[in-house]
Amino acid sequence: MDFELADDQRAIVEAVDTLLAQHAGPKRAIELFVSGDYDAPLEAALGKAGFLEVALAAEAGPLEAALCVEAVARAAGAVAIGASALVAPGVAGRMLPGPVALASADASPIVRFGAHARTLLVADPQAGSARIVALSAGDAEPVRSNFGYPMGRVARALKKSGERLAPGSHERLLAWWRVALATEAAGTMRAALGVTIDYLKQRRQFGRSIASFQAVQHRLAECAVMVEGARWLAFEAAWRGAPAEAAATAAAYAAAAAARVFLETHQLSGAIGYTREHDLHVFSMRLEALRLELGGVGGHRRSLARTRWGGAA
Amino acid sequence: MEFGWTEDEEAFRCELLDFLRETLPQDWEEIAKDGPGSDVQATFSREFCGLLASRGWLTQHWPREYGGRDASPWRHAILGEELWARGEPRGPQYMNVNWIGPTIMAFGSAEQKREHLPRISRGDVLWCQGFSEPQAGSDLVALRTLATRDGDAYVVNGTKIWTSYANYAEFCFLVVRTDPESKRHRGISVLLMPMSLPGVEIREIPSVVGERYFHEVFLSDVRVPASCRLGPENDGWSVVTYALQFERVGAARYARAALTLDGLATRLAKEGRLEDPTVQEKLGRARAICEAARLLSYRVIDLRAHGQPPSADSNVARVAGTFADRVVGELGLDLFGPDAFEYGGFAESNFRLAMTAGVAVGATEVQLNLIAQRFLGLPQE
Repeated sequence: MDFELADDQRAIVEAVDTLLAQHAGPKRAIELFVSGDYDAPLEAALGKAGFLEVALAAEAGPLEAALCVEAVARAAGAVAIGASALVAPGVAGRMLPGPVALASADASPIVRFGAHARTLLVADPQAGSARIVALSAGDAEPVRSNFGYPMGRVARALKKSGERLAPGSHERLLAWWRVALATEAAGTMRAALGVTIDYLKQRRQFGRSIASFQAVQHRLAECAVMVEGARWLAFEAAWRGAPAEAAATAAAYAAAAAARVFLETHQLSGAIGYTREHDLHVFSMRLEALRLELGGVGGHRRSLARTRWGGAA
Repeated sequence: MEFGWTEDEEAFRCELLDFLRETLPQDWEEIAKDGPGSDVQATFSREFCGLLASRGWLTQHWPREYGGRDASPWRHAILGEELWARGEPRGPQYMNVNWIGPTIMAFGSAEQKREHLPRISRGDVLWCQGFSEPQAGSDLVALRTLATRDGDAYVVNGTKIWTSYANYAEFCFLVVRTDPESKRHRGISVLLMPMSLPGVEIREIPSVVGERYFHEVFLSDVRVPASCRLGPENDGWSVVTYALQFERVGAARYARAALTLDGLATRLAKEGRLEDPTVQEKLGRARAICEAARLLSYRVIDLRAHGQPPSADSNVARVAGTFADRVVGELGLDLFGPDAFEYGGFAESNFRLAMTAGVAVGATEVQLNLIAQRFLGLPQE
């Protein structure tokens, strides 16, 4: 048990942070928001530097991949790194042509990164497996959305096509998807809280910094407890290779925390928090997208309870 | 960063579990339901801690010179986790090994170390803590209990309150004011007071939490030898803050909450209620909160294992543990409804212990203040 980064892990995090400082950040995310584009240059840079393959590297693994995913989320990168760097290696055991999007066969047709993806990883419980679907341009149409990621509409028939992986592989997909979601939410929450705290420290009302009010401090402190908890749960689940219970635990906790962090950061930031000139929305709107994905908090909690104590779906 | 246990830690946990299976009586769950302060547990704890001590486990994380084995904080954490998950058979003695002993090691005289540490290490002494007073609760530094120097003794007058285990304890970790002119953090000292001294009077405060849970301790002209003072005169606040950092995560309450949750699920399964998606969601929510508290407690142990000074991470862990206690306590009542009204039932017993979570050992609001200022760097109000 060791919560500090080892030297090689620190090197990875520092390198990916350096790359992100050049290629990502809230300003870039706002530009992409407006155009609805995918950050292909960022994905290319991450791929070229090897950060998408960390989970498969001999001297690294899924925890190191999760560290990269968290860093990209903190920097508001508009790339599907959770799917590429954590889920694809975990489910297919290899890299898949990116961008990679994740979908459930029987859930909503609206899929994060759906319109830009070249590979769709589909959980198909009915078929009892996961599917890998190769997508071509135009297969899925873009969906205008305010929720911080480029979204696409993927037809059900498309989700039911493609190569079926081994029986039961959909369970592995759901577990890794939950770990990826939790990790992205952890990084996004951390950034949302950081943006909020920076603003509240300098914003003065009633002749003092808003951050000095106890009513404000207690809410931020409670958020901090949740953000820390979400981060460690996600990292532990990644390190353990996404066992179903740990994965559902991380996702259940992160999804609930995301709802709370959205509420508190916006309430405390006031009107400026809703504007495109302020960075909060870059992270907060994504939190809403993340907390609703894959059945939302209720689905994660039920999955956790069933895995731990039994009971039918 | 990694989240695995070493071979030594795994082996220790296995050995400990075997030991607990052999040692804890069949009806242990029944005995444990009233918590570490109950008569049966306090009595049982002397025998049980002696057994732990004879295995070298009770204070294994202490340095060898004080009766320990220089074991890693993780081994001690495993011990705490497994014991709290069984209702804490160490009874009140978890305090001794977690923070009273270490605080005596840090501040005690050679004589105090000789007197107290071997007894704590052998597991045959009970302590209580004299912190709160009627006018000094969350605002601990408002304390008024006065210790006036008279020759080779302090004459102590005042009242301590909410004192768990006062009825069994041989010693009290007593926080007093030694400078009557002083204010707030200055002028405070710590006395390791024998409870048998003339002038110490104990009264139980009946409560809904359970029998003999709270006490008031009246101190009238109690002559405490000056040699009982721990640390410097009038600078005892540094001793108190040192002790509190250990106390806040000393108790693995997340493990107890998680155990209770498993117990609730077992009972629901018998009633065929685990198929209910609403029940699943409630259980899943509570389990995730317990797990977060576990990792945040581990984070504090990790800092200790790295030799880092105590930090606001311990306040974060404490708040997370409080959430876990509360959520599981409330859930038991939610799920069993009026069936939980009967005193001594599973959900009821747990609710009683859980409901003090945000108040015991420092109000949650104080923890949140410390997180805001020391963890998030927000300005003081």
